[in-house]
This record gives sequence, structure tokens and C-alpha cells, in this order.
Amino acid sequence: MPARVEAIGGVNRRPVRQRLLWTVAGFGTLALAACLLAPLVGSTRISLAAVFDRSIPYGENIDAQIFFVARLPRVLAAALVGSALALAGVVFQALLRNPLASPDTLGVSAGAALGAMMAITFGLDFSLLGISAVPLASFAGSMGALAIVYGLSTARRRGTSAVVLLLGGVTVHALLSAVIAFVQYLADFTQTFRNVRWLMGSLDVASYAPIVAALVPLFVAWAGFATLPRVLDLISVGSESAAARGVNIERTERVALVSASLATGAAVSLAGPVSFVGIIVPHLVRLIVGADHRLVLPASALFGGAFLIGCDLVARTIVAPLELPVGIVTAIIGGPVFLWLLFRRM
Amino acid sequence: MAAVPKNVAAIAVAVLIAAFTAGSPEGLRYDDTLARRSALVAQPFRAAPTDVPPRRIISLIPATTEMLFAMGAGDRVAGASNYDRYPPEAARLPKLGGLLDPDIERVIALKPDLVIVYDTQVDLKKQLERARIPIFPYVHRGLADITQTMRALGARVGAKAAADAAATRIEQQLAAVGARVAGRARPKTLLVFGREQGTLRHVNASGGYGFLHDVLEIAGGADVLGDLRKQSVDMSTEMILTRAPEVIIELHYSGEMKPEAFEAERRVWDAMPSVPAVKTGRIYLLDGQEFVVPGPRIVVAAERFARALHPEAFR
Amino acid sequence: MLAAADVSFAYARRGAPDHRVLDAVSLTVRRGSVVGLLGPNGSGKTTFLRILAGVLTPQSGQVTIDGRPIADMGRRELARRVAVVPQETHSAFDFSVMDMVLMGRYPHLGTFELEGPDDQAIARDALAATGTSALAARAFATLSGGEKQRVVIAGALAQASDALLLDEPTAALDLGYQLEITALLRRLNQERGTTMIVSTHDLNLAAALCEEVVLLKQGRVVAQGGTEATLTAEHVKLLYEVDADVQFHPLAGHLTVVPLARTR
Repeated sequence: MPARVEAIGGVNRRPVRQRLLWTVAGFGTLALAACLLAPLVGSTRISLAAVFDRSIPYGENIDAQIFFVARLPRVLAAALVGSALALAGVVFQALLRNPLASPDTLGVSAGAALGAMMAITFGLDFSLLGISAVPLASFAGSMGALAIVYGLSTARRRGTSAVVLLLGGVTVHALLSAVIAFVQYLADFTQTFRNVRWLMGSLDVASYAPIVAALVPLFVAWAGFATLPRVLDLISVGSESAAARGVNIERTERVALVSASLATGAAVSLAGPVSFVGIIVPHLVRLIVGADHRLVLPASALFGGAFLIGCDLVARTIVAPLELPVGIVTAIIGGPVFLWLLFRRM
Repeated sequence: MAAVPKNVAAIAVAVLIAAFTAGSPEGLRYDDTLARRSALVAQPFRAAPTDVPPRRIISLIPATTEMLFAMGAGDRVAGASNYDRYPPEAARLPKLGGLLDPDIERVIALKPDLVIVYDTQVDLKKQLERARIPIFPYVHRGLADITQTMRALGARVGAKAAADAAATRIEQQLAAVGARVAGRARPKTLLVFGREQGTLRHVNASGGYGFLHDVLEIAGGADVLGDLRKQSVDMSTEMILTRAPEVIIELHYSGEMKPEAFEAERRVWDAMPSVPAVKTGRIYLLDGQEFVVPGPRIVVAAERFARALHPEAFR
Repeated sequence: MLAAADVSFAYARRGAPDHRVLDAVSLTVRRGSVVGLLGPNGSGKTTFLRILAGVLTPQSGQVTIDGRPIADMGRRELARRVAVVPQETHSAFDFSVMDMVLMGRYPHLGTFELEGPDDQAIARDALAATGTSALAARAFATLSGGEKQRVVIAGALAQASDALLLDEPTAALDLGYQLEITALLRRLNQERGTTMIVSTHDLNLAAALCEEVVLLKQGRVVAQGGTEATLTAEHVKLLYEVDADVQFHPLAGHLTVVPLARTR
């Protein structure tokens, strides 16, 4: 552990207001650049002029279609999913007082996976407002998992406590994983194929409807996240100390759990499970801005989006014309980075 | 609805898996050497007396079950896989599992004198060897393997003449399809094996290798991903837009899709209006088991492809 | 300044009678005094401190600060009146010392308000008062036990409260740091007039630091008063069932308690 808190720019000598401005400016620029540049890059060369050339009718304009159908939804989805998973990661880590926690720890993404798998295996065929069965069932599954974890942890009279929450969540995760295995066992070959492909994650959403749909739970989650930064700082130093300083522990923990679960559920039902973003991004961000959640939360949201946009870019260009599932790229990058972070701590 | 595609569509990936795993050491190029070499592959695992034709045959592969019926040996089949549905007599045979879950005990209990197994079913082969039951390992890579297997199987079960005749008929019928579309321009075709219902996500298509690809070529189509030489490819929307297929053929395997479902799934492609196939409306959804059983009915598959690709040739 | 009147608290237990932790505890703490809460394990000291801090609500009785019941105060308002120094502080994340101290400003800020120059100045004062200014940029987790406790006290000072509640402040520290913290607390009380309530096992710490002591046994007050008068061998025997020698130590300048043997 480094003796001085290493942070860029003499961070601890400046007041938090300044640090916040620099953080948002810096990471915001990165995220914006990623959003603007990524749709221009891909396995096919397209010309920006042609994309916006109004004289070519849309039906004939391949460049425009590649931009607006293939790439832009993908970049937007990557931004939202990366941001949501990173935010959820930060909040779960604070909620569980554990820097190794991730959006997967409490079983919310297992619930989402189970929902998707059931939709695929049992051939559920319905759609709501242009969203098809698999993402809908996936989101429902994640909310089901949340309900169970929430119920388990508030069953004790004194409200949520990190240990009870963790135990409850890990149990739910294990249970759901067993049910997932069972559902996969029931599946035939094509369904298994589809299940496996879904589990690898894919940002190629090809339309804007699922993105808009994901924004609904994400807005609620963001509203929750906005109230959390300072209280997460206080809670991570000790619940009792935080309570003695005026924090409403129960309400904070509930808001944190629900917001982070909504964000995770929305992200996983949009793109399938994408590993490592929820663990790696918070850690990398803390290396740069320090541990203050008022900086870590916005920075993680911005960096998470940029990071996943970057990973998706690699996924779709590195073996062109074929594509790697984005979950593989995040794992290949995330795994070694995570090992390095662990090594550094020791 | 779930049960039907389950039973039949399972064969698709079973065959693909078998073909893929069998073919991979040689790489992914399909050419004549494979076709010539495959004649050697259909050797029984243990030499069996060829003067006594087997009377109790178990076929765990739907394709070989159909072949046996086609060569007149259907009355000697004592058991089949869970996915056998054609001909109707085969559907009534005892169900003994499939590629991943063969019911080894029941197979042995039926006292067969020949068992046709997937070449990759290593455990099953070992158990049958121990029980001293002769086996016929089924390997499948490409279109030519269908008739090769028929002939080898015919020789093995003592129905050589019938099998040769049936195989020759298949070859002639395929050639006839090819002749009908000969000389016509080959449209760039995207052959879709599957995708998420209602969306264009997780589109899985032919990558230029395998028996369905071969059938497409015979039927006068040019596989739009033919240069990739892969059994199947997960296609991104960008790939589809770039490759710009002129015809899209989507396969479904239940044999029971409803017309409204066809229409709904066709409209999903409207999200990509620049694709020539979408512009001209040449999107065909073909539903049937023949796409998933590389057996005698492959001729039906070839004809259906040809009618989709070259409707003028069939007027 | 702070008064508890007939405070009782019990934990509910399923299938068993409620476990009474505190039974009609009353005490008064004058502004600027240092009061020690003494008692064996399970006597209710920690529960009482948590009630004073507003973390727990008593079943009966009330606690008032300057006459105002704390039940009528909002959480933040109470935190501006009373600050807590726990026995140990573990942080899950790499906060700096400055981060830790600035967290004490929370009760004074709005939900989305960031610390301003005034808050920074108060934090720096608190660091100076506890002799930890040089550690400001250090990671809290890398400090020694004594340094950590001093930083936590600085955080409580930054909270600018009228009273400090300390729960076993030296229990996790070695001898050297115990003396250091004791001296620091004494100095803070003398220089700033900070009211302190110290819950502790360490009778010598109580003797060194507290002008008054309250003795708790099984949730009841068995004695309270000036330290010299109340911290006697009989009372030690009553609380701990231990024969001890209680003497004024001329070199230390306060009473010392030397345990001799268990009585049974």
C-alpha cells in the first residue's frame, strides 16, 4: 500500500469543489470523445460526409445505415451499459464495505440471466412496445432477485447490515445459478446455443427502442445515485459513526441497493452480462481521483461508458470481419488489470 | 410450441457439432480430398462378419434412420433417437436419447447387432465395444458425405443394391436441380440459421462451409460469407450492411410456423433498407426439418433453395 | 448540559423475555466536564452511549441536551451537538487523513453542499489540535494505532460539537499510545472546554482523565460522583468482583487502581 495517497495533480491539497470540476471535465471529455469517435471507426470504412449527405435517400445510403443502424446504437448502448455497471459497482462496493464486490455479487445479474434463459428455453414470445421477450424477461428476473435479497436483508428488525446483505445476496446468487443450470439442462441444442451466445454479451442492439427502454429504470437509478455520494463515504468508514454523524443508515442502504440493482438489471437485460466492468472501473478511477465518492461516482459513470465503448471497438475490429463477444474483451483486459490491482495492494 | 422446435431443431446443432468437430483438424477448407477421404471414415469400429446382415439396428442419428428406411431396411431398425420423426414409422420407434445423452443402458438392453453412433460419442463407443456390439461411426462434414454414408451403410447392412440406387437417385436429383439453375447469375445470398425472435440480434448465418452451404451452391446461390470458410458465423448488423446480400434465406426447423409469424419476422429486416434483399423484398423464410437432417430429404431442401433463388427457372 | 432521566432500554428476543440492558439510568453531565462511564462487560455502557448519540431509542426515559430532548432533534442537529469517537475505525477504501477529518463536517452541510474554505480551516485546526497536521495527505489505513485514533478524534473535533462521546478510546492501543491519547484528551478539555463522556474498562484511564465517574452494573447506576470519592476499592469489588488497591499515586498525579485477586 503506498504511504502517500497517490493521486494525480496533488489532489488532496485542493478542495473538493475544484477536484470535482477537474474530474468531471477530464472524464467527461474522454467519454464525449469516445461517443463521437467510436461510430466513425469499424471494420468497414465509411465516410462521414456520405453519412450526413441529405441528397442520398436513406434507403440507398449504406454509409448512413452503417452509422445509424449498426454503429450509433451500439456506441450508445456501450455508453449506457458501461456507465450503469460502473456506477452499480461503486455503490455495491460501498454498500458491502468491500472493494471486491461487483454488480454480480448479490445475484441481480444472475436473476437477469435466469430471466433471459427462461425466455429462450421456454420459447416465450411476446413483445411490449417494441421490446422483445428476452430483454423484458431478463429485467423481470433481475427485479425478482432484488426483491428476494431486499426481503431477506430487511427481515431483521434492525434493517440492512452489510454482513446480512452479503450473505443473503450470495445465497440468492448461488440459488439462481443452480436454477440457471437446471434451465440450461432442459434446453435443447438450439436453445442452448442461444443461451450461450446471450451469456457472452452483445452490444449490437441494431435499434434505439431497447436503449430508450433501458433509460426508464436507469433514470430512477440515477436519481437514487445522486443522493448517495457523501453518505457512501461516511458509511464506508463505519455504520455507527455514520449514524452518529446524522446519516439515515437504513434509508441510505435501501436506496443504494435498489438503485444499483436497477442499473444492473437495465444493463444486463440490454446487453447480456458483461464481466469486469463493475469491478475494474471503480478501482481504476479511485487510483486517479482518490476514494471520495463524490468524485468516484461521476468519474466511474463517465469512465465506465468510455471503457466499454473502447472494449466494444476492439471487439468489433480486432478479428474483422468477424467479431468477438464484448464480454471476452472486457475479461481479457479486466482479468490482468484486476490481478495487477490485487498485486499492488499487497 | 416449445416442444416441437425442441425435438426437431435439436438435430441442426447436433449435426453441426458433429460435422464441426469431425472436420476441424483438417481445417475449414472444403474440397475434393475430404470427399474422397470420407469413404475411408465409414469403417466399423470393430470388424464384423459381413455375411450375416444385421437384423436389429439402432440408429441414434435421424439422418441414418431416414437412410435406412430409404434403402428398404426400415423394418430392421429396432430403436432410434429422440428426434426421429420421419418417416412416420421412425417416430414410433423406441427413443434412445441423442448426441449428448444417449441412453446407453437401453441401447444395450435392446440387444442390437449394429449401432450407428456419432463418431464423437466416445463413451458410448467404448461401452458398446465392451459389450461386443458392432458399431457404425457416423461422420458428417459436407454434402458428399450423405451419399457416401448411404452407400457405406448399405454395404454394411446388406442392402447394397437398394442403397446404391437410392444414393444415385439423390445424386441425380441434386444434379437436376443444379442443371435447372445452371447458367443463371448467382445472387449473393445470406443463409440465416437463426436469430433472436423479433429483432436482428444474434444473427447466426452460414459462413461458407458445411452441407447447407453446399446445397446453397448447388441451388445456384453464392454464399455472401463464402470467403470465411466457417460452419456458422455470428453476424453483426455492420457485416450484413457491408456484405449487402441480394437474397436472404432464413431457416426454421419446426415445420409448423404460421403465416402471420412469417410476415412478422420478415418485417424485422426493414431496419436495414439499404440491403438489396430488403429493397427487392427477396427475403424467404423456409421452415422444415429437411434443413436439419442431412439425409435423403436433402433434395427437398435443394429444391426449396432453388425456387427461392431462381423462381423464373420453375415456372 | 446533557442529562439522561430514567433511561431504560431492552432488546426484544423471540421466545424469551426481553433482555433488559439499561434500567432507569439517570445522570447529568455539566458543560466542560469529563465524565467516565465504568462497568464490566454487559453493564450497558455501550448501549447507553449509543442512546446518547441518538443511534438507539430508549423504551422509556429521555435524554436532553441543554433541556431539549434529543428525540425532538433532527439527526444532523444532534450530530452538531454530540460527536462520537469509536474504539476502532476501519475504512474499506483508501481515504486520506484529510478526507477522514472533513467527513466530520457532514452535519453542518446540506445534502449536495461541498466543503468550503471555512470547513477546510476547521479541519486543519482539528488536525493541529491533535498534532496530526503532518499526516494530512497520508492514507488513513497506513497509520499506526495511535495516529489513527488521533485522526478520528480530529474528525470528531471538526464536527464542532458541544460534547464528545468516547467508547473505549484506548482499548485497542498499546501503552505508549494510551498515554498519548489520554494526554491529548486532557489537553482538549482544558484548552477548549470540550465536554466528554468516556466509556471505559480502563480504571486508570478513568482516574487520569475523568473528574466524575458513573458506575454501571447490569444496566443500573450503582454509584456516581467525583472520581476521588467514587472510585474506591469497595466499588471496584462491587463492579468487577476484584480485590484491588486504590491509591493516589504522587508521580502520576491521580488515583491508580491495582487489581490483586478475584473474589468469589
